[in-house]
Amino acid sequence: MLELRGVDKVFTDRKRVVPALAQIDLAVPERQFLCIVGPSGSGKSTLLRIMMGLTPPSGGQVLYQGQPLSGVNLRSAMVFQSFALLPWLTVQSNVELGLLARNMTPEAAGRRAAFYLDKVGLGGYEEAYPRELSGGMKQRAGLARALAVEPDLLLMDEPFAGLDALTSANLREEVLSLWADHALPVDTVVMVTHIIEEAVLMADRVVVLSAHPGRVVADLPVTLERPRSKRDEGFDELVDSIFERIV
Amino acid sequence: MPEPRSAPRWIPILAIASLLALASLFAGPERVLRVARGVISEYGARDLPGAALLSLWRMGAAYIASLAFAWVVGYAAATRPRAARIILPLLDVGQSVPVLGFFPAALALFVGLLGGSPFALELASIFLIFTSQVWNLAFGVYEGLSTIPAETRAAADSLGVRGVLRWRTLEIPACMISLVYNSILSWSNGWYFLIACEIIVAGRAQHDLLGLGSVLSQALARGDTLVALAALGTLVAIVVTMELVVWRPLRAWSERFTYDTARRDDEAPGDLPRLPDFGLPSVLRPMRSLWRALTSRLPLAEANRTATSIGQGLGRVWRITRWPLAVALVLTSLGSVWSLVLSLLPPWPREAAEIPLALFLSFLRINAAYVLALAWIVPVALWVSDHPRMLRPLTLVAQVGASLPATAFFPVLVALLVHRIGGMEIISILLALTGMQWYLLFNLLAGVQRVPQDLRESLRSLGLPRREIHRRLVLPACMPSLVTGSVVAWGGTWNALILSEYVVFRQRTYEVVGVGALLNRATFETADRTLLLLSVAALVITVVTFNRVVWKRVYDHVCTRYRLEVS
Repeated sequence: MLELRGVDKVFTDRKRVVPALAQIDLAVPERQFLCIVGPSGSGKSTLLRIMMGLTPPSGGQVLYQGQPLSGVNLRSAMVFQSFALLPWLTVQSNVELGLLARNMTPEAAGRRAAFYLDKVGLGGYEEAYPRELSGGMKQRAGLARALAVEPDLLLMDEPFAGLDALTSANLREEVLSLWADHALPVDTVVMVTHIIEEAVLMADRVVVLSAHPGRVVADLPVTLERPRSKRDEGFDELVDSIFERIV
Repeated sequence: MPEPRSAPRWIPILAIASLLALASLFAGPERVLRVARGVISEYGARDLPGAALLSLWRMGAAYIASLAFAWVVGYAAATRPRAARIILPLLDVGQSVPVLGFFPAALALFVGLLGGSPFALELASIFLIFTSQVWNLAFGVYEGLSTIPAETRAAADSLGVRGVLRWRTLEIPACMISLVYNSILSWSNGWYFLIACEIIVAGRAQHDLLGLGSVLSQALARGDTLVALAALGTLVAIVVTMELVVWRPLRAWSERFTYDTARRDDEAPGDLPRLPDFGLPSVLRPMRSLWRALTSRLPLAEANRTATSIGQGLGRVWRITRWPLAVALVLTSLGSVWSLVLSLLPPWPREAAEIPLALFLSFLRINAAYVLALAWIVPVALWVSDHPRMLRPLTLVAQVGASLPATAFFPVLVALLVHRIGGMEIISILLALTGMQWYLLFNLLAGVQRVPQDLRESLRSLGLPRREIHRRLVLPACMPSLVTGSVVAWGGTWNALILSEYVVFRQRTYEVVGVGALLNRATFETADRTLLLLSVAALVITVVTFNRVVWKRVYDHVCTRYRLEVS
């Protein structure tokens, strides 16, 4: 569904050229839950932004459904580490934002937003402002906002990094059940994380990036049976083998 | 606000040159004399209501024009890095050029275009007020837009939010706080200069537009204390009413536009005496429902699409026309520079020899005022850092103090102090202080507020005495705000100095040797274009050079050395 061919990215910082990503070849098939892991400085988030069309690659090609991507891909949606909710809009209006941008009528947008807020467990908080919510609830709102545009591809940039352990465990489960729910349109997910256990718990496939610049150093399928837990047989071995490739 | 920026060095120079050139092109005293033939009407007490309304209208019109201009310019600077490299230094120069230097140019421009009608004079006056209001608003828009967090911007992009929807939900709200804050400053600034802006002087001829400023200064010049007091009272009443009815509710309302989602406990509302917020909400509510009704009827989606395509069209037009425009601009500036050179050719008037000395004395006066201001503001800020409950009341004092136009009190101060110790010399320093201190206090209080509580607690738990905490934490942490405030206050005081070195009271002129007095004499007494230009040039060059050479370095140093890491 999404294909990266020889993608490079360089940044210029005060006339110094800093390579961030080098020669990334990656294909994301439909219905896959893909996790990208790597140390800090490996350009994971940059890679995700290139997939979204937020930043153009410096070299190479990004194909979506076989077509080269130009500009933001409105068939996909993104969840951010800092939640990135607009503090001056209510939760409901935040979720409606992407729908209004797609020229949906206010009534239809309201109905759709309410549906997805209910799905992520925020029913009853429609009129709350982000500052009144806990971190976990803010990320639920961020998730609802991304789901509400009914994207084919969901991109998540360290979505649980700003949350405490218990909240993030809960939210992980919830994301997995939303992904598994075939009544919902989203069934392809790319998630960036720096926690290897998280990747192994959630993903069908883990791609490992190296740092300075980011290159794909490993591409491993995760075949453990779902639902998974950290006590599953083979879990630790897989985590260890990924960890070795990063170090 | 000064930003770390790397602008071509020639831009400020070009800007100054073209401003001066414009001034010289239009400031032919003979020509202006013909237009406004000494129309001075005597205004009395019965003109006050009309004067108040007219002044308010002028301020409002200038403010709306400033807002529109600030939005366009600030938006361009924030969204196009290349435009920012040109716009920011220009705004910087605009901020430090004394308003009074624009007077003859503005008058001649409007009169030249529209004839000597009252309408033209009115426009000239509004333009002058505009020049005192616009700069910090533009910086405010720039600041608001460029501090949108990268992820928030990316989120709006990823949702495909564009055009009108983007303005409405992202960009205008993001600017709201700095716009409200800077609007208050702009209005204070406008009131401060209103007195000068309603007296349109053209060479030896003078035209006083009916307004609070002109009523006040005429009454003071005549020595009519009663009318002066009445005018002053009206002015203060308007300022206080606006603070209560407009700014206070607006400030409270704008607090919802912060990104800071974690609330600080000691800022919990309600523990401080607050004046009631009356007025605005009851005005706004029907307006809001009207707005809702309108937006639900309007085809917003289509408007959005149209606006986007208009924007693209404009971009295309700009791409085609920019080179011809640039050529025209260069030609005009060449012509202006030529006429500038012509009008600056010797023989220079005798007073021109005074300029270096006058400039030096003014410079000393400003620094004296600056040191005086620091001498009381730094201890106050340190004291407030130990008594956080006093922060709100003191901010209120600073706000009210800043919004009372001190210029109105100048003649009174002169009358009280002129025959006492130090005479006019001390007075002019004190007057300059009035233009400087509030802004410094404002910024320093904001700095004190930003000192992280946990750092202070950690030092306290180490057993450091209060004085050491001040020295090691509060002062360094306040440094960036102190320098920011200093740059603006120092630049703004040059403006105030022009009014404070030359005061007319009871048909007598009190003045000291200084560049401000020189400017005033050139404007009001001799109508000497060359002298006017020379002193404005000397002034502007001094201010801009000092800003670039001294303040910018201090600012860069302080920002890298004393920045508190915000995660």
